[in-house]
Amino acid sequence: MVIVKRKQLSFRERLFLPEIARALSHSFRAIFKPKITRQYPEERLPTTEVTRGQPRLTLLEDGNTLACVSCGLCEIACPAYAITIDGHETDRFIEREPERFEIDMLRCILCGFCEEACPKDAIFMSDELELADFTRAALVYDIDKLKRPKAELQRRIDYFYRVNSRWRKSSSTS
Amino acid sequence: MIPYEAMVLMKVAAIYGGLLATAALMTLAERKVSAWIQWRVGPNRVGPFGLLQPLADGVKFIFKEEVVPEGANRFLFRLAPMMAAVPAMLTVAVIPFAGEASLFGHATTISITDLDVSAIYVIAIGGLGVYGVILGGWSSNSKYSLLGGLRASAQMISYELSLLLAILCVVLAAGTLDLREIVHAQQAGWWNVVWAPDLFLLFVIATFAETNRHPFDFAECEPELVGGFHTEYSSMKFALFFLGEYCAMTVMACLTTVFFLGGYAIPFFPEAPWFLELPAFLLKAGFFLFLFIWVRWTLPRFRFDQLMALGWKVFLPYALFRVFATGAIVSFGGFA
Repeated sequence: MVIVKRKQLSFRERLFLPEIARALSHSFRAIFKPKITRQYPEERLPTTEVTRGQPRLTLLEDGNTLACVSCGLCEIACPAYAITIDGHETDRFIEREPERFEIDMLRCILCGFCEEACPKDAIFMSDELELADFTRAALVYDIDKLKRPKAELQRRIDYFYRVNSRWRKSSSTS
Repeated sequence: MIPYEAMVLMKVAAIYGGLLATAALMTLAERKVSAWIQWRVGPNRVGPFGLLQPLADGVKFIFKEEVVPEGANRFLFRLAPMMAAVPAMLTVAVIPFAGEASLFGHATTISITDLDVSAIYVIAIGGLGVYGVILGGWSSNSKYSLLGGLRASAQMISYELSLLLAILCVVLAAGTLDLREIVHAQQAGWWNVVWAPDLFLLFVIATFAETNRHPFDFAECEPELVGGFHTEYSSMKFALFFLGEYCAMTVMACLTTVFFLGGYAIPFFPEAPWFLELPAFLLKAGFFLFLFIWVRWTLPRFRFDQLMALGWKVFLPYALFRVFATGAIVSFGGFA
């Protein structure tokens, strides 16, 4: 059992008016305080190399071919079954590339397992965070929506190599 | 030169347009000031500084689906929002916004009409506002609405008494029921707030209770009653309740100005023309409108029993005592 002793209020306190005046002056002063609102679409939160946004596919230095060889490791690593890959063969030295590479962004949980699973530096978590569209179908991203020049992802790639430096020295493509 | 009737109609249109515009802007001001007090920015996307936000809200309300709950009394359910909005708008008809003026060649005064019993008119029409709340609460066939409506009506009736007695003191001192004469009496002598700061305070606090504003907004006490009397209302009918609330606030701010702050009187400048008196009046009334919002975002809500205790055990006896005191002063020639 707890016995709560109520504080005996003095007459001035029971009148409430002085305290109300104090509260009013406090809230009036708050009007002139600097605002903490961030005007979102214009003023974005800064992203850092640690920002783990949506996964994106890297393009090779030629800016045209994907680094992906459609090995399917990320597809298997993906805990949300968000990735679907169909591969086919090419005439290039690296014989395989994806014919279809889709990430269902509605399923993706941005965990970054695909990034860790990839042996070819083909998929990285970008700093792109926005995800909005009018249909579900539009949020299943295909290669055209996923591919990015390597330079755009370089900050993340450098970070990735730094934190994994003990057991990952280089990839076989880059 | 236009006919006299046309001039009167223009006056009516201007004053009602002003009232509705004020009510609309108050919805924006409420959000803006609350945002500023909380270190936020507030709505700023629709138009410059978000000034067109009320318009956008209005359009939204009109296009919203209208839901009438099962078992509701349809007639009263429709009637209630009108009952909430109309009396508040009617009251503005007698408020003297400024003194004599010459408009389009006609000598007139800046108010819709000058009744010689306008103080009684204000009280009588203003008292009707409680019907909107109680009818809305009852006809919705919902326990939250009913509780909200009951609380609101109990509260409005108890505080109307003190409000009325405070007005009675002012009327006694001025010796007239005409709002314009009350202003003239203050223009000639002291503003009522000078000789009766206690009544002024009582009047302002009772005004908050009368318009169901924080810290006495038991009609729509969200944590307990969902939304109170307007829980079941949707679309434009919901908006009408708010229009009524903001109109009532505007009218109450005007009345406080008239009864205690000398209406359109400018200190040391009794000969001021009407186009100076009008801004003076609006400035004073505007301060009270700001006060309504300011207090709402500062103070926590009372408990219902505290509210009733304050109304019946403190305000009513004190107001009664003040009426006797003022009466005694008047009968001994104090205000002559």
